[in-house]
Amino acid sequence: MSARSGPRRLYSLVVAIGTLAVFAVMMFPLYWIVVTSLKKEIEIFKVPPTLVPRELNTDSYSAQVQHGDFNMFRSFRNSFVISASAMLISLVLAIPAAYGVGRFFFKGKGLFILSFLVTQMLPVSVLLTPMFITFRDLHILNNPLSAILADATIGIPFSVLILMSYFAAIPGELTDASRIDGCNQFRAFRSVFLPIASPGVVVCLVFSFLYGWGDLAYGMTFLLDQTLRPITAGMFNFMGQYGTKWSYLTAFAVVTIVPVLLIFVFMQRYIISGLTAGAVKG
Amino acid sequence: MNTMKPLRRSFRYGNVGYLFVLPAALYMIGLVGYPIVSNFLLSFQDVTTTTLSHAAKPFVGLRNYADLFADGVLRTSVGNTFVFTLGCLLLQFGIGFALALFLNRESALARTVRGVLMVPWMIPMTVTALMFKFIFSSNVGVINQALQGVGIISHPIDWLLQPGTAMLSLILANTWIGIPFNMILLSTGLTTIPREVKEAAAIDGATAPQAFFRITVPMLRPVIESVLMLGFIYTFKVFDLVFVMTNGGPVNSTHLLSTYSYKLSFTLFKYSQGAATANILFVILFVVSLLYLGLVYRNREGGR
Repeated sequence: MSARSGPRRLYSLVVAIGTLAVFAVMMFPLYWIVVTSLKKEIEIFKVPPTLVPRELNTDSYSAQVQHGDFNMFRSFRNSFVISASAMLISLVLAIPAAYGVGRFFFKGKGLFILSFLVTQMLPVSVLLTPMFITFRDLHILNNPLSAILADATIGIPFSVLILMSYFAAIPGELTDASRIDGCNQFRAFRSVFLPIASPGVVVCLVFSFLYGWGDLAYGMTFLLDQTLRPITAGMFNFMGQYGTKWSYLTAFAVVTIVPVLLIFVFMQRYIISGLTAGAVKG
Repeated sequence: MNTMKPLRRSFRYGNVGYLFVLPAALYMIGLVGYPIVSNFLLSFQDVTTTTLSHAAKPFVGLRNYADLFADGVLRTSVGNTFVFTLGCLLLQFGIGFALALFLNRESALARTVRGVLMVPWMIPMTVTALMFKFIFSSNVGVINQALQGVGIISHPIDWLLQPGTAMLSLILANTWIGIPFNMILLSTGLTTIPREVKEAAAIDGATAPQAFFRITVPMLRPVIESVLMLGFIYTFKVFDLVFVMTNGGPVNSTHLLSTYSYKLSFTLFKYSQGAATANILFVILFVVSLLYLGLVYRNREGGR
């Protein structure tokens, strides 16, 4: 390291400062809502704005715990139930489907894959009106099931396309070996293939959950009862009601992104591989 | 048990694939295939709140489409959707590419920052919309506060209350989401360019811009094409962000096809017109999607 000359060290210093500047600019909006949620209402209006709260104020959070029609913790739970259920449906259906597509040849396979690729590019708008009418006829409007069923339509094609390549990459010798050991197709699937594809399964769990968590359109359209709505729809209503109460609104937003940040911290590796492999967001 | 035998035999070899695929396929046919067809039919009928419960729905042919094209808001929405998409693509691709090049080094700092920049892409769009609505708001927005603080403007700008600046704000907010997507895909592409190629170019005396335009860009071309196509597809159908930030306002000037379709169906209860608007969005996207898939297949064949 001592061989490093002066200009070179200066160069890496400039690069490091530049990198931090990029980080600061990109992360500023998130920082700003966290800080705002901890400020008092008067301080939010200060010009020039304060970068750190002068006086720490956690009322925006505690007020929500105690009362309020727009109980953010209830809608948090609704969102959790909807996203987790949609995630389960996606995985239960997508894992076998991906195995079927990845390991077998059958007529219409190409068409099957193509239709899943196209489905991923489908706008929510196309499905919203007909789904609304169908769910109305089935009497499941205002039932979390409607949002769950709709959200899973985003997770399934994504998961099938991701897992398909995992299953396809597993060498054929393993199938033969498992057959010699007396496994039938289903046993081989369960005890040989599924464990090998488990990193892919984690990617699908993460993405299916995030799709459900981020959904606004389905949750807001099919669930009309305030107490059933997911947190995104709750936040939207709250904005309509308390349009300028920014300390409350930003607190709501911060609570909404907590699970996302946790997923990011613990699952970062899987997220990057999911993004590059499928490169899709609903 | 005997009756099971033929069934079992037919699933024994290759056909067992159908058995695995069937549940997912049925689910998707029921919850995506059927709605697409029904949305298509709906757009040729006249379904509003009054006719929603009737068994027989009046068939009106192309009248919904004719009415929509005569309607100024739809034409604005089509234009807006393209302006929004192209504006976002330009910014997010440009900035994303610049960041991919800049952060394309193996220091711990660069790696960490690359990772954390994924967060904007992961958080719910509703949160992003709220955040930028706050940042661009007239009286408490940090942008106005900062511009006033340094004396560039004397009066706050009503960013979201004027058509031009409202669209600009929407584009900037969506760009924030799109940058990580572009950056990660382009970074991954950059790592596939062998170091030897660049070293050889340097030895031959290529300058940095020459190396960039003659080596990096051509070698990244398949990645660049798919990033732009996917970016187009995802941006063209954005709904949540615009719905929450401006809801098409002021006075319908920032409606996209997605938000206008929603308004027709769920605010004005003109379900058929909403469906027709969604179909216009769908047809444009479908054409682009097919172009994209064609591109993917072409690149794949060219590469092997």
